[in-house]
Amino acid sequence: MTNDTTHALIASLRQAVIDGDAKAAAATTERALADGLAASRLVDEALIPAMDEAGRLFEAGEFFVPELLVAARALKASQALITPLLAGSPSAARGRVAIGTVKGDMHDIGKNLVVALLQGGGFEVIDLGADVPPEKFVAAVTDQRADIIGLSALLTTTMLQMKHTVRALDEAGVRGSVKVMVGGAPVTQRFADDVGADGYADNAAAALALARRLMGRSG
Amino acid sequence: MTSRERVLTAMRRRQPDRPPFDFSFGFSPAQIAVFHARTGADDPYDYFGADTRMVWPGPTTLTTDYTPYLGAMPAGSTIDEWGIGHVPTTSRDGDHAHLEGFQYPMLSLETAAEAADYPLPDLDADYRYESVRSEISDIQSRGLAAMAMLECTIFERAWYLRSMERLLLDFADGSAFATTLLDRIAEKRVVQARRYAELGADVICYGDDVGTQRGMLMSVTMWRRWLKPRLARTIAAARAIRRDVLVFYHSDGDVTAIIPDLIEIGVDILNPIQPECMDPVALKRAYGGRLSFWGTIGTQSTFPFGSPEDVRREVRARIATVGVGGGLFLAPTHVIEPEVPFDNIVAFVEAVRGA
Repeated sequence: MTNDTTHALIASLRQAVIDGDAKAAAATTERALADGLAASRLVDEALIPAMDEAGRLFEAGEFFVPELLVAARALKASQALITPLLAGSPSAARGRVAIGTVKGDMHDIGKNLVVALLQGGGFEVIDLGADVPPEKFVAAVTDQRADIIGLSALLTTTMLQMKHTVRALDEAGVRGSVKVMVGGAPVTQRFADDVGADGYADNAAAALALARRLMGRSG
Repeated sequence: MTSRERVLTAMRRRQPDRPPFDFSFGFSPAQIAVFHARTGADDPYDYFGADTRMVWPGPTTLTTDYTPYLGAMPAGSTIDEWGIGHVPTTSRDGDHAHLEGFQYPMLSLETAAEAADYPLPDLDADYRYESVRSEISDIQSRGLAAMAMLECTIFERAWYLRSMERLLLDFADGSAFATTLLDRIAEKRVVQARRYAELGADVICYGDDVGTQRGMLMSVTMWRRWLKPRLARTIAAARAIRRDVLVFYHSDGDVTAIIPDLIEIGVDILNPIQPECMDPVALKRAYGGRLSFWGTIGTQSTFPFGSPEDVRREVRARIATVGVGGGLFLAPTHVIEPEVPFDNIVAFVEAVRGA
């Protein structure tokens, strides 16, 4: 396979994900793998840059929630073919994030967007869902060795649960071994500081950059 | 001025004796308990003298079985007349035990035929409006303004049935499923709006959350394709009966991008103008000649975290700016959640009344 063909395949996979074209993403992935391209290279050069670009367009106000959702769907179509080939390779280990909407709060759209962008960004994501009590976050650290805990809340009532969750991590003696990031409509940097979080992001794309920073990588 | 005169005057952008007020979507149960304990009274709207009362259609007699669509439900769940499953949170704490999630009955349907076959409630049946007629006349005879509720008009009702993610993917895919579902909901809403107008409601309250605090949830192009024409149809249905019925539209978040479109299709009043992400004074300057503003006192900022004096200051600032020449209705921007100090609610009412 020529270099030109390789670059063309990678570029078209990247574009298919940005455009949210799941069929094209799957077909291009199949073709690239059949042509002998390494799965890790497709992740590094097509999938991660594609979701980064989708996140950038979202932050810039050119993409909205539906565009992110279709990009995430196309990403998944490609990942379904790639992930089985990746076990044990370096791309599989960019960090493990356990994320959920805090106890009492069922709002999960924002959290789901963060999940999509983190997965696109190469993170392993343990999605704990909505209405997640503090002890489940603790278990994600003790039993599943999460590097980062992500907490989401939509309401001023429930965002106070973030404080309880950070305290629970403290009391379980694992606060030092995990980073905590928080977000959601009523949450501010100041509130994040008050509850003792390591970081705050005000949108899904910023959350990915924050997770990378917390893992010691540039955003 | 009676409350009703005050609401009609202010919302038609003439100067009232003072801005009208109410409590938006009311008090959370924990807050109601505080209210009872502090005042010994039954109803905060009566106790504080709010200027409006809300009406909804009477209960349905249908007994549609939605369990084939919903499958197994967690313990304690309920099913409403649309077939939407309401799932309680695991929290038993009084402060947020009232919050709930959804189980979506149309989540795994695929075809337009399935969307056409799904049983919708009989919101267009005459018998459901008998109580509405008497409630409106009772409210008005007490000098209050009657607000007929048409909340979660089309988009929200559709995604409560489908899930937001599936519905937005349907929109992106241009799916016939979404077209059929939205058309069917809109047809029900057209009849509901017409009935409210016939029965003499002062304000018809439409609403679909299409904003986030960073701007629109979907692009304006997508909103114009999927939602605007159907919302326009439901507004036109009421207006065809009574030209002067007031049209109120609610969306959380920042929906500045669609304000000109909302005005074009007949919206008189925008709610709730979350001050955390929309500037009420700038909006008054830009649209105050054509649009009235209902809400503006933040339940994400001043109400829960400010002092009573902060609340009074915010109310007075709104009256001195947005309230000039009418066009201002003061209210919390959403439900009064449990962490709002009761004294802030008292301060809100006192400041509106000029006490």
